Amino acid sequence: MMAEEKVTTATTTKAAEETAARAVDNILTIRNLHTWFFTDLGISRALNGVNLNVPRGKVLGIVGESGCGKSVTSLSILRLVPRPGRIVSGEILLHRRRKAPDGTITEETIDLTKLHPQSPEMRAIRGAEIAMIFQEPMTSLNPCYTIGNQIMEAILLHQEVSKREAWELAGDMLEKVGMPNPRQVLSRYPHELSGGMRQRAMIAMALSCEPSILIADEPTTALDVTTEAQILDLMRDLQAEIGMTIIYITHNLGVIAQMCDEVAVMYLGRVVERAGVEDLFYDPKHPYTKALLDSIPHVGSRTKRRLASIRGVVPDPYATISGCPFHPRCDAYMPGKCDQLVPAPANVAPNHMVRCYLYSDEGEVENGR
Amino acid sequence: MVSYILRRLGYMAILIVLVAVVGFIIIELPPGSYLEVELTRIRALGGDINQAMIDALKQQYGVDQPLHIRFWKWISGFVRGDFGLSFEYWTPVNQLIWLRLWYTIFTSLLTLVFQWVLAIFIGVYSATHRYSLLDYLITVLQFIGLSMPAFLLALLLMVIVHKTLGWHVSGFNSPEFQDLPWNWAKIVDFAKHVWLPIVVVGANGTAWLSRVMRANLLDVLNMQYVQTARSKGVRENVVIWKHAVRNAIHPLIMVLGASLPAIISGQLIVGVVLNLPTVGPLYFRALMNQDMYLAASILMFLTFALLIGNLLADILLAIVDPRIRLGEG
Amino acid sequence: MAETAQVQSQEIWVEPISKVGQYSQWKLMRMRFARNKLAMIGSIGLLVLYIIVALAPFLAPTDYMRQNQDYVYGPPSKLTFRGPDGKLGLRLYTHPVVTQLNPQTYRWDFKPDTTKFEPVVLFAKGDPYTLFGIKSNIHLFGTRNSDVRIYLLGADSLGRDMLARILMGGRISMTVGLLGVALTIVFGTVFGTASGYYGGFIDDMMQRLVELIQAFPTVPLWAALSAALPNISEEFTALDRYFLITLILSLVNWTGLARQLRAKVMAYNRADFTMAALAAGASDARVIFVHMMPNAASHIIVVAALSIPGMILGETSLSFLGLGILPPLVSWGALLRDAQNLQTVMTAPWLMIPGIAVVIAVLLFSFLGDGLRDAVDPYSI
Repeated sequence: MMAEEKVTTATTTKAAEETAARAVDNILTIRNLHTWFFTDLGISRALNGVNLNVPRGKVLGIVGESGCGKSVTSLSILRLVPRPGRIVSGEILLHRRRKAPDGTITEETIDLTKLHPQSPEMRAIRGAEIAMIFQEPMTSLNPCYTIGNQIMEAILLHQEVSKREAWELAGDMLEKVGMPNPRQVLSRYPHELSGGMRQRAMIAMALSCEPSILIADEPTTALDVTTEAQILDLMRDLQAEIGMTIIYITHNLGVIAQMCDEVAVMYLGRVVERAGVEDLFYDPKHPYTKALLDSIPHVGSRTKRRLASIRGVVPDPYATISGCPFHPRCDAYMPGKCDQLVPAPANVAPNHMVRCYLYSDEGEVENGR
Repeated sequence: MVSYILRRLGYMAILIVLVAVVGFIIIELPPGSYLEVELTRIRALGGDINQAMIDALKQQYGVDQPLHIRFWKWISGFVRGDFGLSFEYWTPVNQLIWLRLWYTIFTSLLTLVFQWVLAIFIGVYSATHRYSLLDYLITVLQFIGLSMPAFLLALLLMVIVHKTLGWHVSGFNSPEFQDLPWNWAKIVDFAKHVWLPIVVVGANGTAWLSRVMRANLLDVLNMQYVQTARSKGVRENVVIWKHAVRNAIHPLIMVLGASLPAIISGQLIVGVVLNLPTVGPLYFRALMNQDMYLAASILMFLTFALLIGNLLADILLAIVDPRIRLGEG
Repeated sequence: MAETAQVQSQEIWVEPISKVGQYSQWKLMRMRFARNKLAMIGSIGLLVLYIIVALAPFLAPTDYMRQNQDYVYGPPSKLTFRGPDGKLGLRLYTHPVVTQLNPQTYRWDFKPDTTKFEPVVLFAKGDPYTLFGIKSNIHLFGTRNSDVRIYLLGADSLGRDMLARILMGGRISMTVGLLGVALTIVFGTVFGTASGYYGGFIDDMMQRLVELIQAFPTVPLWAALSAALPNISEEFTALDRYFLITLILSLVNWTGLARQLRAKVMAYNRADFTMAALAAGASDARVIFVHMMPNAASHIIVVAALSIPGMILGETSLSFLGLGILPPLVSWGALLRDAQNLQTVMTAPWLMIPGIAVVIAVLLFSFLGDGLRDAVDPYSI
């Protein structure tokens, strides 16, 4: 008999959520975000009601298989969702906290979905308050301009400095990210650098204006393991030094374990589980999370054991699945329950949210279905 | 970079020789030559050319001798600037073609610039305003520009301009300016004539180039670094022109060389329709009349111009693309 | 709660709504092509055009070679629905034309005699012709009276019916492209594949050859080659000239396809499926024809289709200059020779109609080629 209680009665009311949210200092609150892609072949509902709180100063990891909507979430935050996609409904609240030179702290909250993507306000936020680094260092930098030029561009856009000063600042930034020969690299072109160096340059560019939030979209996936370790170390050091919030998107659970304080697991456009990193790894609740953790090969396991994999494949993005989207692949599937309505988010612990009928009975009515 | 140019020049020299050989052979393919035709005609009329002169000509140009001798005699004259004699006009070739060649090259260059500037702007606009009304209109115009033969467009425009504006449209200058020295008024008159061949020949190239530009830009806009630029907060205008267009132009510069033959060919044909003092009308007449030195020389010069154009285009590409300039990294 | 939830034993599989994953590559291409409105317009339009020019002698009321001294540069015939009784009816009528010399302009005026009515009939008897081996003299429309002829699109410098000439010219202009492209495919594929597959010396030689050919400006080269053809005579007919012109057009054209195929074959050389086939003991020929060609087939088709407009325009330009198709054969470009100067065009603007035909044909081929290219490209949206 298990000692801990099965929390079946969960506090799912909005008010309770909000109290919980306010208790933690969040820099970003995403509520019920729907981002859909309207194509010739149908509507692809990339984000289908994403709720996410990003705590200030911490590293939040977002993990999931390809196609679950991790990248679209980050693009939605920055209002960079490409056509034919757009944000259909929901809120993205940025809780800005500014410290004036005399020490006074001002706070304000802006809903990013209400800003036009090309508006000066949004562009001022991009790069200066929220910055992003991308997966492919090979193609993320413009091959026609020098590294220095590209970092300078970011600096000149958001800070009132001269070109000369911007160049100096760019060099400082490169030094900070551990680039060998930083001053010389400023005059180099991207194709002259290795993958790891390019990624460092990207990080330098992203951090050049000291953003409050850094979104890292699988920054080390394209790098070899040694370089990956270096980049991860770098990011941790910088984060500790500046106190920046990082949203780290990856499908690699090992990196999550190393880097993150909290984790959100996404599946088919929704967050299905959200917990602190320890809780997630040692006490996963959602069947999908459990399956993900099971599928990691363990060092020291008996070599005869077959690798566990999750049954089936991620469904076609244009297909519609009734009820919990994971139920066709779930070992704990309950017919009649799991295929009716999408399970509503439920808290099994103060900082542990799950969407699963194993832990609550409440379902959600979908908008748009 | 310098070594690259030198290599290309050396290579070009070999190619020019080959081109001269091939060109000469082609022109010589039809049996008979203008000289013989002329001689027969004169004799049939009862007249006669001074036998000494005939012998001198035959000697100079090796008219009775095998192909390679004739070719050699022709080529060896190049050093002196002698490209043979036009038997129809009874004038040295270099006198006939000198000015016309420059006119041809000049209008071709103007056409190139016109074509390019227009194509870039149209291409960028239609890529960034997809599915808009103007975009569809542009597509229609592009299709028409690609389908219409240049000479037909020339005829149409000639008729329209004559009917609506009453301008004199053939040649490069109105009759009253023909023999006058160049002054401001003559330049203006020239402009009033030269726009027609430029627009007509440039239409085809503009249509094609702007579609390539549009396709390239659409590709580039999908690239990650465009996304990066936006994520830094760069203004959309700047994203498009500074980041995207700069990259999208590369493939276009690569096809710059490919658009040259079409321009030259177009100018030649349009020159016939509009009766321009370019190399076109002269060349086709020479071909029809078996005036071989004239035809072969013109063909060679045009090919030469094309080769130089390609070389310049490649140099331009090397300048613009840092990857080529610094060697692949 | 978790204990009570039993695992269901059967495999639960979700029926996807979209069937995209179930179609073969060719079917997907065909679907994409059919969705492209312009491509469908192009294909159907071309089909109609080919049928029209195939039936040319039947569709035109007169033979295309018949001269009429009384109707030199004559305007298109006036047709009217108004009968002899002055009322509008269903029957079309035309009037016989009276030719007079205008004393002021010294030109011929063509005045229709509105007192005489000549009904236009379907399936009229006219000039004899042979179509697909069948001899006949029935034309789609015409008059019962052979003195009154219908010149739907006017007449040229020898009084010949422009409609008949345009239709017959269409036969040449529309097939030059096809023949030329067929030759281009043959040359380009053979050279490009050999060059890419074998590499080394063969490749070098072909590269040099291609560069040499591509160094020349196209039209002057075509012109020079065409001027080298012998004159029309007993041994060398206009039809022979037509075939040689087509050959000349494709002689310069194949280089583009050869280059592209060379690049593709070189890439395939390094591909795993080639290694696998060779390791399994396949001969070179088998590797090329069974493995590489099907992969390159779609590319070849697209390049071929896209080069047809260029060939049609090339033949038109050459014939316009008098270096292409020569009489008695007629093509649209050759017809445009009559419209070479401002004077003629101002007095007889209908001489430019073959130009419209060229534009339409090239436009339709462009739609077709573009549609094919978009259908075959896996990355287009």
